[in-house]
Amino acid sequence: MFGRHGNKELEAREKAEIATEQTRPGLVFRPDVDILEQSDAYIIHADMPGVSEKTIEIDLDKGVLTMNAQAENAIAGNEPNQHLHSEYRSGGYHREFRVSEDIDSSSVSATMKDGVLELRLPKSAQSQPRKISVAAA
Amino acid sequence: MATYTIQRPENRSPWSGFLNEFMRDMNPALQSRSLGSQDVRGVYPPVNLQETDEGYLLTAEIPGISPENLDVSIEGSTVTLSGERKVEFEAGNGTSVHRRERQSGNFRRGFELPSEIDLDLAKATHKNGVLTLRLPKSATSKPRQIAIETR
Repeated sequence: MFGRHGNKELEAREKAEIATEQTRPGLVFRPDVDILEQSDAYIIHADMPGVSEKTIEIDLDKGVLTMNAQAENAIAGNEPNQHLHSEYRSGGYHREFRVSEDIDSSSVSATMKDGVLELRLPKSAQSQPRKISVAAA
Repeated sequence: MATYTIQRPENRSPWSGFLNEFMRDMNPALQSRSLGSQDVRGVYPPVNLQETDEGYLLTAEIPGISPENLDVSIEGSTVTLSGERKVEFEAGNGTSVHRRERQSGNFRRGFELPSEIDLDLAKATHKNGVLTLRLPKSATSKPRQIAIETR
């Protein structure tokens, strides 16, 4: 193949709606995620188009990481437009992960760019691999 | 929020028109479609189209696509979105992958709108991974009332 990831045709996938019971009104979707592990942290990227950083809630409790967000409607509600065609719906996003015990929950950080959430979950100091230097006797 | 310059047809090379047509012939996914008339499942990016008093409002969900990797062009009544979505992904170098659901790749999609667009008034903005195109109809394609003379 040519390159590892480049030159591939993108294919749209319908956003997966979450069918479980919700306490809030409106549609809730399951965002696509990538999860990477580095030597000192776990990195999560989640596609959440329409979401601004203000509506994101991230919670890490008893080893369960929960993310909730709400998409802002890009179009102001006072425009009574005629919908000619619709391929996607807007709403909230929700996803949960069980994470390993070794995360330093006090230093989890999150950034949002172009509708993609990046979560950085640093590993606690004890669980990071350490090199032990051997002193010459 | 970022604002784009919408490409005008005269800025393109004389070959690009030919090439586009050629590509369209080769790949049915690249054909300009009248929205709503055909099955568009799987065609990237997903769009919504509304009609406003002035013209059309087209929105597309394109998370993770930065402005420099996105191209919007308009010619007559045809709008084309193309670009590349890059997914940050450095395997190796001590990084291991636990889950990979997000896609990367190229896209190109054309839309045939019901009437011509006024290029000078067309606007493209990008916010939170959603592209919004405001596409006013050109004066010639707007309906006009004709006064009726009484004799």
